[in-house]
Amino acid sequence: MYARDIMSPGFHTLSPSNTIAEAVSQFHVASLEEGKKIFGLMVIDENDRLVGMISIYDILLFVQPKHIHVWSEIEDLEAQALFGELLDRVKSVQVSDIMTTNVVTVKPQTHVMVIADLMIKRHIRRVPVVEGTNLVGIVYISDLFNHLLQKFM
Amino acid sequence: MPVAFSRDILQGLLVEEAMRRQVLRAPHDASLGNCVNQLIKFKANSLLIGDETGCPVGVISKTDIVGAFYAGLPVVETLSRDVMNGPPLTCFPDDELGVALDRMRKNGVHQLFVQGAEPCAVVGTLSYGDVVALLYRYCRACPKGAAGRSEAAGIEDRTRFLTVKEAMRTCVISCGPEEALAGVIEKLTANRLGAVLIEDGKGLPVGVISKTDIILAYHHGAGLEVEARSLMKSPAVTCDENSLLTDAIRQMFLKDVQRLFAYGADPSHIVGVLSLADFAQIRSGSCRACMASRMIGSP
Repeated sequence: MYARDIMSPGFHTLSPSNTIAEAVSQFHVASLEEGKKIFGLMVIDENDRLVGMISIYDILLFVQPKHIHVWSEIEDLEAQALFGELLDRVKSVQVSDIMTTNVVTVKPQTHVMVIADLMIKRHIRRVPVVEGTNLVGIVYISDLFNHLLQKFM
Repeated sequence: MPVAFSRDILQGLLVEEAMRRQVLRAPHDASLGNCVNQLIKFKANSLLIGDETGCPVGVISKTDIVGAFYAGLPVVETLSRDVMNGPPLTCFPDDELGVALDRMRKNGVHQLFVQGAEPCAVVGTLSYGDVVALLYRYCRACPKGAAGRSEAAGIEDRTRFLTVKEAMRTCVISCGPEEALAGVIEKLTANRLGAVLIEDGKGLPVGVISKTDIILAYHHGAGLEVEARSLMKSPAVTCDENSLLTDAIRQMFLKDVQRLFAYGADPSHIVGVLSLADFAQIRSGSCRACMASRMIGSP
């Protein structure tokens, strides 16, 4: 079984110049249209080449205050209002500013056990499938898990 | 002959109590675009640059990237090794915080890298913000301090506590909204500032431009001719110069800013600026008892 057998050939993407607000909106749309929770999206340039990935973890990391350990000791916080202010200040930030650029990819003919090994060792949950310079799909850890279970159990 | 010594609240506190364990690194052949990406993503002031073996050879800070922008270097093609400064300034986990602060002040840097036992091992970073966070936590735990009391509970005797006025700088550098980015960078560099206030024609504060905003603009491909108004964060985060220092520090942490602009009797007129670096350097908690405990005497 190979990447091409379990990958999702239809996927949502972002542009590097999208704002973080647009990315959040796209996560919502992708989850609705793909019928499952989407936690990471691929970022492609104007030539449809993969240039990065962004996950909800990246966005959460960015919007959380730098000295979060001080927050944890303050009980009388109006967290909602403060977070609103913080989010307001990050509107000008683009996807390219916080995306991961060093992306691990596989080929369509990469074996699923190799992909499983990559995901475990590199702590990644989704891997883009690239053929030459073309992005052809994405393998989610949930799909990999389900296929392996069906095969061996 | 008696030997003078100084005492302050940082006495006995070590770097390891305030430092961050996360060290952001980039290879010496990383593009400036990648460096900006790391600095923005992790809200850091500088990156440790390593050679082929990963051994630290230099540092690249927001100031260096602003300089590259001003010099017209391309953000994608320029490599970190072409812009970095070296070698990294370091301290050790068991150094006294006061010694580390002296080192930062003397060298004009906002961050030190914490050296581990091995020659190439860097185990953390220490910034002014980290020192202030530690001081603030001590203040909150102190039964005599104002930091641990909620505003609702009230503070009966405000004279016991330090105010923003006593720690702020009164020299505020500002630009007009129509000033070109090149001019803003020149003012930041000439005055060794992290941010500049933007004031309109009537002297009213309308926003702030920091080095973070400038490196973001560089990353987005903006030119040096763009007007300050298109990049500034608005409104500027302000406080009353008579507000308690502890409240101002709390505001900086909660709003995730490194400085507050202070106004006097007229809220539309800025009279000073208080930064995390200023507060770290006074080496005191936020009440007068702490400040008074700083003394010079003989052992």
